[in-house]
Amino acid sequence: MTVLLDAERLSRNFGGLMAVNNVSFQVIEGEIFGLIGPNGAGKTTLFNLMTGLTPVSGGTLFYRGEKLTGLPPHRIAAQGIGRTFQNIRLFKGLSAIENIRVAQHVRTECGLWGGFFSTALSRAEEKNVEKKARELLKLIGLADRAEELAANFSYGDQRRLEIGRALALEPDVLLLDEPAAGMNAGEKHALTEFIRGIREQFKLTILLIEHHVPLVMNLCDRIAVLNFGELIAVGNPVDVQKNRAVIEAYLGTE
Amino acid sequence: MADFIQNYGFLLVTLVQQSLLAMSLYYPLMAGQLSLASPGFYAFGGYIAAIMATVDCFAPWRDLLGWLMFPLEWLIAGSASAVLAFLVGLPALRLKGIYLALATIAFVEILRVISLNLEITGGAIGIFGIPQLFESRWGYIWTFGPLLLLMLFFSYRLDRSRVGRAFKAIREDELAADAMGINPTRYKVLSFVIGAVLAGVVGAMSAPFLNTWNARQGTFDASINYLAFVLIGGSRSMWGPLLGAALLASLPEILRPLKDSRLILNGLVLVFASIYLPKGIAGALGRLKRSGK
Repeated sequence: MTVLLDAERLSRNFGGLMAVNNVSFQVIEGEIFGLIGPNGAGKTTLFNLMTGLTPVSGGTLFYRGEKLTGLPPHRIAAQGIGRTFQNIRLFKGLSAIENIRVAQHVRTECGLWGGFFSTALSRAEEKNVEKKARELLKLIGLADRAEELAANFSYGDQRRLEIGRALALEPDVLLLDEPAAGMNAGEKHALTEFIRGIREQFKLTILLIEHHVPLVMNLCDRIAVLNFGELIAVGNPVDVQKNRAVIEAYLGTE
Repeated sequence: MADFIQNYGFLLVTLVQQSLLAMSLYYPLMAGQLSLASPGFYAFGGYIAAIMATVDCFAPWRDLLGWLMFPLEWLIAGSASAVLAFLVGLPALRLKGIYLALATIAFVEILRVISLNLEITGGAIGIFGIPQLFESRWGYIWTFGPLLLLMLFFSYRLDRSRVGRAFKAIREDELAADAMGINPTRYKVLSFVIGAVLAGVVGAMSAPFLNTWNARQGTFDASINYLAFVLIGGSRSMWGPLLGAALLASLPEILRPLKDSRLILNGLVLVFASIYLPKGIAGALGRLKRSGK
């Protein structure tokens, strides 16, 4: 059991609001780690702190023993941490396949001149980029719509394309922010199987934020519960469901 | 043919030159950066070439190099523009959208005022009697023409390369690009530098072409003109700046018989194109091509 991610007292305040308050937890290699909590509990802020999109007010995040906090987002991504966004942030004016090509940036190194002169390195790289983009499109079931603009896809397809784009980074850790939002029961079930599948195939460690409790309970190995920016419980799904503080956070006190 | 070149040669070369300047705006736009700095670098490059071609201390160089002095001027103008663009771009590209546009307009103005007041740039009179590379104005098609072809090829390759994709990703969503491992600052500055180098080299080529060089070369008006070229032509395709410059730069000539009212028509074209061709001529042509398939 290797600890992959180690968050130590992560905090972020927006003015007087403590969006994330002294949150500490560890994520173990290969697990699916769920993050749940009522609206406004600070789940997405926590993801943003972990990926560098929002600077921390305090605390440190370690990845394989190395400090991540303080690095810009692109450096964190290059370390092998991919993510999706709650409000889908695809490159909407680009085609599906171009979205996936773009995300292979950190796995390639050809510069301006290599591209201009179409050097051997650049041609070899482009061939690989193309091959991997096709493979990933096939995996997410959009192979026959490669050239369509990302903006034209349905909500569910956009969510899958965004996961595909994150996978193009060849990440070790994948952060999924509400991947099932807006999906119907059938789609949610398919998504559960899909997430299990990519974990096996790419040896991923997955963190996911999700509101749909049955999906989280079914999919996650461990769950952390946030409420008003504070971590109120961490553990396996069965224990967390029985946790008094969690029940109070969701249902209120008598 | 000889008559045609006699009458329209200058206009054609000007069209190519204007297309190149429009393209210099296209590269930053490709990375989503609205920069109007091109006329500044154009003027800067032109002054470098004009000074190298006329000032006494460069006379031994000119005697030694002969016509090779001209390519040397382009090279130095391009390199100096790259350095200047890097120094200006690094702080300026922290600004977004209209604020970046304003900062780059300010940059053009600063360069203009400096050149008006320096002795080496000839003050308000400027530099005149710049030695010619060709006997006729038409001859300059042999400098601007190959440069345009080179830049078209460059744009074509850029569009399909890793760097070009990074530009487009930043244009579409800078934050998402950052989260996908693309360093936005690096690529924004790079796109700005590419545009600046092109404008600088075009300036250096234009100094002998126009024979004189003064502070009227890099102005706010020019910034707006080039922007109009790109917007009317289409900012999402490498053909956009070319089409826009070809149309808008030749329009005043085509409409010459209309005398003073041609400016009104010119303005109307701008207004209607921005309403009915939001993605420019290139965008509209692309749509036609797709629907025809």
